[in-house]
Amino acid sequence: MDACLSVQKEVDKVLGKFDGIKAHSARTLEELIESLSNIRQELSSAEPHTELNRVHQLILSSAQNRTKDILTRVSNEHKDIHSSVSKVGKAIDKNFASELIQLNSEQTFESPERMRLLNEVICEHFLRQGMLDIAENLTEEADLDMLDSAKEPFIEINQILEALKRKDLRPAMAWAARHREQLQAQNSSLEFKLHRLRFIELISHGGAKQQEALTFARNFSSFAEGHAKELQVLMGSLLFIRQGLEHTPYSHLLDPIHWDDICDVFTQDACALLGLSVESPLTVSISAGCAALPALLNIRQVMQQRQCQVVWNAKDELPIEVDLGENHRYHSIFACPILRQQTSETNPPVRLTCGHAISRDSLNKLTNGNKIKCPYCPVESTPAESKQLYL
Amino acid sequence: MADLKALEHATLKVPYETLNKKFRNCQKTIDREVSHVMQVHNELEKCLENTSTTVGTVVNILDSMVDKLSALKRKANESITQEEDSARVVKRRLEHLKEYEGSTGAALAYWKKKRVDRMLVEYFLRAGYYDTAVKCARHSNIEELTNIELFLVAKEVEESLLRRETSSCLNWCHDNKSKLRKIKSTLEFNLRTQEFIELILLNKRVEAVRHARKFFGSLEGEQLAEVQRVMGLLAFPADTDVSHYKELLDGHRWQQIVDQFREENYKLYQLNITPVLTVSLEAGLAAMKTPHCYSDSNKNADCPVCSKNLNELARNLPYAHCAQSRLVCTISGNIMNEHNPPMMLPNGYVYGELSLKNMAAENNGVVICPKTKEKFTIDQVEKVFIM
Repeated sequence: MDACLSVQKEVDKVLGKFDGIKAHSARTLEELIESLSNIRQELSSAEPHTELNRVHQLILSSAQNRTKDILTRVSNEHKDIHSSVSKVGKAIDKNFASELIQLNSEQTFESPERMRLLNEVICEHFLRQGMLDIAENLTEEADLDMLDSAKEPFIEINQILEALKRKDLRPAMAWAARHREQLQAQNSSLEFKLHRLRFIELISHGGAKQQEALTFARNFSSFAEGHAKELQVLMGSLLFIRQGLEHTPYSHLLDPIHWDDICDVFTQDACALLGLSVESPLTVSISAGCAALPALLNIRQVMQQRQCQVVWNAKDELPIEVDLGENHRYHSIFACPILRQQTSETNPPVRLTCGHAISRDSLNKLTNGNKIKCPYCPVESTPAESKQLYL
Repeated sequence: MADLKALEHATLKVPYETLNKKFRNCQKTIDREVSHVMQVHNELEKCLENTSTTVGTVVNILDSMVDKLSALKRKANESITQEEDSARVVKRRLEHLKEYEGSTGAALAYWKKKRVDRMLVEYFLRAGYYDTAVKCARHSNIEELTNIELFLVAKEVEESLLRRETSSCLNWCHDNKSKLRKIKSTLEFNLRTQEFIELILLNKRVEAVRHARKFFGSLEGEQLAEVQRVMGLLAFPADTDVSHYKELLDGHRWQQIVDQFREENYKLYQLNITPVLTVSLEAGLAAMKTPHCYSDSNKNADCPVCSKNLNELARNLPYAHCAQSRLVCTISGNIMNEHNPPMMLPNGYVYGELSLKNMAAENNGVVICPKTKEKFTIDQVEKVFIM
């Protein structure tokens, strides 16, 4: 933030100076023009053919000197701002890193294959967000092979989501009914939640829709298993259908949060059904990158100061751990507490009989005769008793 | 906030360079207008030295001086306003960056979404997908925050070069003369060479010689050798088979000029060769990349590195470094820690306690390993201590 502020300080200075010089040069030039016009006025009162008299001569030469002065000043004043302008540039260079980290030696634009892969990721990213026209534009300009069949599910999902945001449940209910079996296999409560919202909607219309609500309630029979308690609550609310639910124990049913919730539930279940991640992989990766880059930048600086060659490649790990928070953890990683190293296929984690986990290599190192004493507790066991872990 | 420092240099530097350029243009305009006034001024001086000057002449001179001064006043005002405008662009971008700190929740998410869109727009512009870039910027309302203008100018120059026209690129060189000289650009020279070659191709040899005399006269060093090479063309027909000269006459030299133009344009504005999008994407992929992402049985649908295309893009990147164990239950996707301790099934597979208990509760105390489909009872499950 200091970075922004110090640049802003310089920009404000420059803006202030522009403002000053604009007003000042306009004023001085205006004055000069006026005084010259006055002199002209005075002169023109004399006969045009007469020669200049002594007074005129004096007035003119002083006006002449003044003009020269003012002109040099106007030009120099503007020139002087240059230092302020270039300070802005210096502040930007000082506070923001001009050279980015290049982790991959392969340039993106040099390999058509990589570009195609990336463009497809971007295209999917747009489709997910419902920016269909932009996705289409990209398909065209980048010459991608995006099949319509690849777009369809996104289009449908987006239409349903938009309808849900308008509080229109019908498209979502039709979709859920069509995918009922798959949803049930996923243990999804989407369909029940949709029905529940529809029922609440009917109830909130008051007595007029009582009959309709009762008819609709029959649909709930298929959800009796697993949602029995909530069903009772819903049916109970029928008691108050005439007076409205606002001031009854059922007022929580009207909470608008259910509508936000249904959008999330729908997105989640629909993505799972299509085998997609809930969040756009591009967004996730970029936000991870934004978290990782400052740390990488620092380490590069340190490495350069120590005059180490900075190279990153696929065989290595990044030189530092980047904590991306729990949300970005997708795989279990076991780092052997003895070797301080990640385990691998050749050096897998093992569990000693006491329950402590270490790597196979450290187990071998710690074995004495046919005994291993756990490094963390007093229990002794034999290496054969330890068990390989699959994380 | 460190990510601003790492990523936003170009966001500010490009409008700064525009400001700098506007400043220099403004100085030029002012100096030019001042010299116009000075001419009249000198005329007046001469008249005053001459004693026989009449009032009428002086009045005429004064009139013209007032005219010139008014022109100076107007032009100075106009160009300073332009300078102010470009300084304000820098300021507006700063304000946007500053919003990042105070934001939380939805506002922060919105800011970050805009950041991704800004990166995408920049990537599109560099890749030459101008239409998509403009549409995307308009959709997300970030036109002011992206350097579209810079690239649209470049687009015109590039298109004209591909039409085999040099004029707009030469204009661009002229516009950025001093900066190009500073980076020792050979772009203008290459353009002139190309013009010469085109004349040869049209068999206008006399004109070609004239062209060479005009533009190659004052060259030295490396360029001189190049000139000699090119001048050699005069001795050959346009459809020569001598490989050395055939190469010069080949159309793909235009593409090379386009590439050179692109590179120097980036240099002028201190833009990196790689777009911010790929830089941060690659850093992010590396930070999340684990060996699991490349073994079929351990993929996780939510993990970006496991998704098909990104998996391939991340192949050459380093892995994340991890000195501290962190375990994720593959059944629920939740973290395993003291609240959800890791439990080992007799076959060695480890899952979170919560998931196993849930499974057992539904299944009369039986748990099924999702990987191997073996069945165990819940009391066969043993604790694992991760240090």
